[in-house]
Amino acid sequence: MKRVGLTPGEVLRQALLIVFGLLALFPLYFSVVNSFKDRVQYAENLLNIPTRLHPENYAVAWAQIQGPLVNSVIVTGVSVLATLVLASLSAYAFALMDFPGRHLLFGLTFALLLVPEFLTLIPLYVQIQALTLPSNYLAIILPTVAVGQPFAILVLRAAFEAIPRDMLEAARLDGAGHLALLRRIVLPVSLPVLVSVAIIRLIPVWNEYLLPSLVLDERHRTLPVALVTFQGGGAATAITPNYGALMASYVLAAVPLVLLFAFLMRSYIQGVTSGGVKG
Amino acid sequence: MTALPGFRSAPASRRSLLARLRGGWPAYLFLLPTLLLVGYFSYFPAYTAITRAFTDWDGLNVPTFTGLENFQRAVTDPVMGQATLNMAIWVGLGLLLAVVPPLLISELIFHLRGKKRQYAYRTLFVLPIVIPSLVLLLVWGAFYRSDGLLNALLGAVGLEGLRHDWLSDPDTALLSLIFLGFPYVDAFNFLLLYAGLQNIPDEVFDAARIDGATGWRRVLRIDLPLLRPQLGLIALLAIIGNVQYFISPLVLTSGGPGFATTVPALLMYQTATRDGEYGYAMAMAVLLMIVVVALTGLSRLLGRGNR
Repeated sequence: MKRVGLTPGEVLRQALLIVFGLLALFPLYFSVVNSFKDRVQYAENLLNIPTRLHPENYAVAWAQIQGPLVNSVIVTGVSVLATLVLASLSAYAFALMDFPGRHLLFGLTFALLLVPEFLTLIPLYVQIQALTLPSNYLAIILPTVAVGQPFAILVLRAAFEAIPRDMLEAARLDGAGHLALLRRIVLPVSLPVLVSVAIIRLIPVWNEYLLPSLVLDERHRTLPVALVTFQGGGAATAITPNYGALMASYVLAAVPLVLLFAFLMRSYIQGVTSGGVKG
Repeated sequence: MTALPGFRSAPASRRSLLARLRGGWPAYLFLLPTLLLVGYFSYFPAYTAITRAFTDWDGLNVPTFTGLENFQRAVTDPVMGQATLNMAIWVGLGLLLAVVPPLLISELIFHLRGKKRQYAYRTLFVLPIVIPSLVLLLVWGAFYRSDGLLNALLGAVGLEGLRHDWLSDPDTALLSLIFLGFPYVDAFNFLLLYAGLQNIPDEVFDAARIDGATGWRRVLRIDLPLLRPQLGLIALLAIIGNVQYFISPLVLTSGGPGFATTVPALLMYQTATRDGEYGYAMAMAVLLMIVVVALTGLSRLLGRGNR
């Protein structure tokens, strides 16, 4: 085997990659260092690490976004879990059961991938306003689960079809029904795929802004909505906001994703690269 | 062996349709929650949008049928014209940003020596997904302000003359929004291209090396043609995504100054939520959908024709 060497070309390539990689992470660095500055320090220098820290910015930010952070965790967690549960049932039916209308129903589910989101946004808003739901959380969870179904079913169906038939036959001979089969064999065997689907869906759900801003009341609003509200009238307005607290709220908004990806980065990469494109 | 109802291995073809329908009940039960949910939250709103586009609807009362009036209004509205031009610029430049930087980075990483090194750099470029997209947007909004980073940097290198309130100047507002998010290495696009490169068999690279195709020539002759499926998908998703995208103008500029950053999707949103003209908004949405469908069809046609 050839030794992994350092030719000038290799050094140059790595230097370029490091520069670009760090630039991609720069907004996070920017938020972190400026979250510890007061107004004067912010105005003086935007890039340095402050000598006198102002952690009280985090108290201000926390007071603003503590509720939305919890709401976001609830909404995202429940949405992703429910997406997986319903999609598993459907994918099981499409992959392993025989019934009239199988292709038609699968086609109908699949066709939803082609319905653009802006087309349904306003009617959904009107529809949900008119709906009496037991909890305002459901106003965003239910449509989010629906939107996630086509993608999740597509990926899970492929995974379920790839499970060796002998394994399923053996369990069936032991008298296992559909639910037992799903719970004891299909789901455990497909765990890596389930994790990948969960984490790929999780990103857009955590970042979702438009529909939540329309249908959630103030008490249930999620993080992206709260960040925009906290920020005020937009960057084009003349008022100077309290940047330190603002940046602290951005950092807090990223913390759950940082924690999650500390553990699940590999699943995300595998999910995107394996399910990607075939020819 | 007596089969449980609904198992796919059951000798289905012999039985009558009615018996099969009845035998399929577990499957229908499994599908029921999904079908109810997508029926009510995906199909029904799409149906509402398309049918209400032909009506005068305020979102509350019974709509009155007005035929093609909304569509006529949309295609003759000068604001819609400016918005469409903005969208065209956005889609064109967005396409470049979606393809070129991820391609460059995946080529650089793929040709590093050693799997471990490649893995480390690949992780580095996926890492930015921990930044919530709205945070990225708002931080860049702060960069663009008159007291923001961009102007501070221009001042530091002696280019005070170029300082700007980037989002308030009609000449720079649209481009500022489009070019938000340097260095534009979208994790998903990057991973797709990187996986595509990995799927190219080693023999192809070996053969290319023997034929003297190295460096840029290899990229042009081997990598790009073999990455066609990935590049096509990224291009398609970027176009569709940018046609309907309007979060950054909504949050950072509200479409202004004037209509400098207004795009049709934003106009649709504002027409409904701000002006309460839901029927007219739905006509815009339907027009946009036709654009999306046409572009999708066109790209598939092009993809097939060249093969």
